[in-house]
Amino acid sequence: MTFKQKINDSPIDFAIEIINDVKNSKDEGVLKCVQCGMCTSTCPAAHHSDYNPRDIIEKVLAGDESIISEENIWNCFYCYTCHSVCPVGNSVCEVNQILKQIAIAKEIGYDKLYEYLGFADSYFTAAIGAIPERFFPDIGQDVPGWWNFRQNLEEIRNELELDSLMPSKEVIDEVSKILTITGFKSKIERIRASEEVEK
Amino acid sequence: MRDDLKVGVFLCECGGNIADTVDLNKVREELDVEFIGQFENLCSLNGCKIIRDAIFDIGLDRVVVAACSPISHEKTFQDYIKPLNPYLMDMANIREQCSWVHSDKEKATDKAIALINASIEKVKQSDAVDPIYCQTPTETAVIGGGIAGMNAALSLAKQGTKVTLIEQSPSIGGHMAKIGKVFSPVKIAEECGMCLLNPILNELVWNENIDVLTNTKVIEAKRRAGTYNLILEKSPRYVDTEKCIACGKCAEVCEVEVPNDWNDNLSMHKAIYRPFGQSYPESYVIDMDNCIKCGNCVKECSMRAINLREKEERIPLQVGSVIVATGHKLYDMEKRPEYGYTLFRDVITQSELGRIIGVNGPTKGKLLRSNGKVPKRVVMIQCVGSRDEKPDGHKYCSKICCTVALKNANIIKHKHPDTDVLICYTDVRTPGMFEKYYKHIQENGVRFLRGRPGEVVKKGGNLIVRTEDTLKGEFIEIEADLVVLSTAMEPSEGTKEIAEILNLGTTEDGFIKESHPKIKPVATDVQGIYVCGTAHEPKDITDSIMQATAAASKVSEYNHGGVEIEPFIAQIDTDKCAVCGECINRCKYKSMSIQNDEIYIDPMSCTGCGKCLVGCSQHAITVNGNIDEKIFATMKGILSKKKDGERVILVFLDNIGYAAADNIGVNRLSYPESIHIIKVISVNRVRPRHIRYALENGADGVFIGEFPGDLMYDEVELKIQGVKDRLEELGEDPNRLTFSKVYIPYFSGLARKFNEFDAKIAKLDETE
Repeated sequence: MTFKQKINDSPIDFAIEIINDVKNSKDEGVLKCVQCGMCTSTCPAAHHSDYNPRDIIEKVLAGDESIISEENIWNCFYCYTCHSVCPVGNSVCEVNQILKQIAIAKEIGYDKLYEYLGFADSYFTAAIGAIPERFFPDIGQDVPGWWNFRQNLEEIRNELELDSLMPSKEVIDEVSKILTITGFKSKIERIRASEEVEK
Repeated sequence: MRDDLKVGVFLCECGGNIADTVDLNKVREELDVEFIGQFENLCSLNGCKIIRDAIFDIGLDRVVVAACSPISHEKTFQDYIKPLNPYLMDMANIREQCSWVHSDKEKATDKAIALINASIEKVKQSDAVDPIYCQTPTETAVIGGGIAGMNAALSLAKQGTKVTLIEQSPSIGGHMAKIGKVFSPVKIAEECGMCLLNPILNELVWNENIDVLTNTKVIEAKRRAGTYNLILEKSPRYVDTEKCIACGKCAEVCEVEVPNDWNDNLSMHKAIYRPFGQSYPESYVIDMDNCIKCGNCVKECSMRAINLREKEERIPLQVGSVIVATGHKLYDMEKRPEYGYTLFRDVITQSELGRIIGVNGPTKGKLLRSNGKVPKRVVMIQCVGSRDEKPDGHKYCSKICCTVALKNANIIKHKHPDTDVLICYTDVRTPGMFEKYYKHIQENGVRFLRGRPGEVVKKGGNLIVRTEDTLKGEFIEIEADLVVLSTAMEPSEGTKEIAEILNLGTTEDGFIKESHPKIKPVATDVQGIYVCGTAHEPKDITDSIMQATAAASKVSEYNHGGVEIEPFIAQIDTDKCAVCGECINRCKYKSMSIQNDEIYIDPMSCTGCGKCLVGCSQHAITVNGNIDEKIFATMKGILSKKKDGERVILVFLDNIGYAAADNIGVNRLSYPESIHIIKVISVNRVRPRHIRYALENGADGVFIGEFPGDLMYDEVELKIQGVKDRLEELGEDPNRLTFSKVYIPYFSGLARKFNEFDAKIAKLDETE
């Protein structure tokens, strides 16, 4: 099949959009990619799934916005190996995060987020990102002693003369307020609503 | 007093080029001078007679030639005004900067009058000064005895120049001696490197004009008027090269074994050793760091050549020029632990592979792994340390590694057709004829995989290269029993040291920087010092030799031509000078130094920018030629001819900007008549008080242009901003002053800037 590039097509716009994103710390790194594949050769997600960081940049540079709907982009779990090995100073990891945000803004990939909504909730209840309860059994099983540590955390902190981990109510209220004003709260609510519908 | 000088003005019609646009009769009426001459071609020999007769008959003290650009004919007219001093003549450029850029006759005539008047006022401020001639000694030092240094030395020696070749290791020959086979793209074959090197080495050894100093390095360098005084340090060899016959009996009785660095430490040699079979001088040498001074060798040597108490020696050397050929080293593999070089014995570099497959190497040319077996699969990894922006990596491409990998792959394939050879590449860079070599190697069955491996690990006895096959989009783990890393070329320690000692500019990567990458590829930023080979940047043997002979040719130019220098340079009053050294710090051109407890200004590198004199607390520095007063006089000459309602913009340009402005005329573009260009030796000489004088005495605007490649560019830009701030404080409009980049080829851009600035000033004039 022939792909036709029209005279007014501007494939680079997608890359520029990503470069201009506040999350991008690598300036024009994306544009300097020569597709050497070093990211893929060190990527744990690439070894165990069809996720391919080099391919992400290839698509971005081609202006192929369909990448945001691809299941694979959700396989990156931010180990930042690609970020640290890239010979031209690019970061696929950051590009991936930007792509996911674009996806979320377009209400794509909500189902990938359901599991993590507990993180979002903890910002409202504790003003910090805490591990959602649904992960407790697995962690307890994988990390010996963790459950005990977790349950007695306040006591241990006390013994070590550390303040409570829990911020004050004023702090929690203020953080909640910020999250509400900035639209974080409504975004989470939309995702939760979508989850309810699917159930 | 200066007003009483007899000035003669000579107007050139330039065969109509000037006279058709400028009304020379009107010009003659407007000028108030002792004598006015006119001719259709002043630059002709008849013109010469007119000028010379007037000088004799009238007794002229100063001459103004109103004609073309000084770039075309300044030297001609400096010669025509003899017996007057050449600097008592000034040219008013009424062709390139008047008749060729303006079409309105009346306005062009008025402008010509202003320009000529400026020259009249300026020339009255001129004093007789003599040009400075520098003849440098012809003796030359070549630092570094690799293929580049050897060729540079040999080329100069054959032209009759005395050369001292300085090599810090015990033998000349450099990297080329150890790489085994070299590639030849035209023959599409590998050739014996040593067989190509030996004839050059022999020729060099027998040439009477060359003095080879091994075990020697430059430790100090001082320069005075084009002469370099180098101090060399010769380390002891402990073996007399005159007596030693290289029989090798000493090594047989030596009990100490030391890793052989010529074999990349893949074999051992004794503490008394000969670096390699064809090394020169043909003599043994003792590694005193490892010698246990048992005395066996001393007893064994029938020539009595060994002296364990030899001391280092300091040698002074005076030369006129220096060629730096201090070469490169290879990337330190400890910086890339992911490739397992330090962990696995069968991960090696291309250099080590070259030794292993070299017939004079540790395995006598047999390709063997650490276990003594021939490898089944060799994987080569390209761009190790090159094209790499990670910490400790190099952004540049090392240029030769693709072809080196092809060469070694082909040699392996030739010896062992059953061994699979795979080259993991990002791009294969084989420009020109090398592409034919690349195709040839593909035909021989070497495989290529496009992907940059992330790591080399070991799994069950075999090495595993992890990479993506980017053309397939597949992650792949490749089993290999030998992994070869194509490591980057980087500047050698010697290159870094010599750059510091000779005060040479370097690139961000530490290579020695040429003074212009396009048109001055072998000159450095210090006059009389040239660079060649891999001290300059990564390159192959052919390019190193070409650059070496080019450097030799540049030294010859310098030796034969001598150097004539415009005398408008800084001068120091040693009675006032406190030798504080501030001027040395301030000088961007590295022309100041302390010699014999006095500040010495090298006339060859001083540009007369005047940065030093501003910082001199003792007011001990002046710049020859009354420059400040000339600038005032030139402005006065122009502004005194300003008419009511006329707009006058003064434009200050140095040689480069002036050439760009001339190009506007040569290409018959135009700009407003308000633009009056004043040539200065350095725009840094335009002082804030000059700018204020201009604006207070009728100039509507001041435009200062500078070539961004000039070392003073940043300073001038800052200074102009400072003047703008000051103007604002004084209640003047800072927009009447502008600073702009100028480039010789970008004359149309300069014309546009003149137009824009004129329009801006016109608007300001209207609103005020």
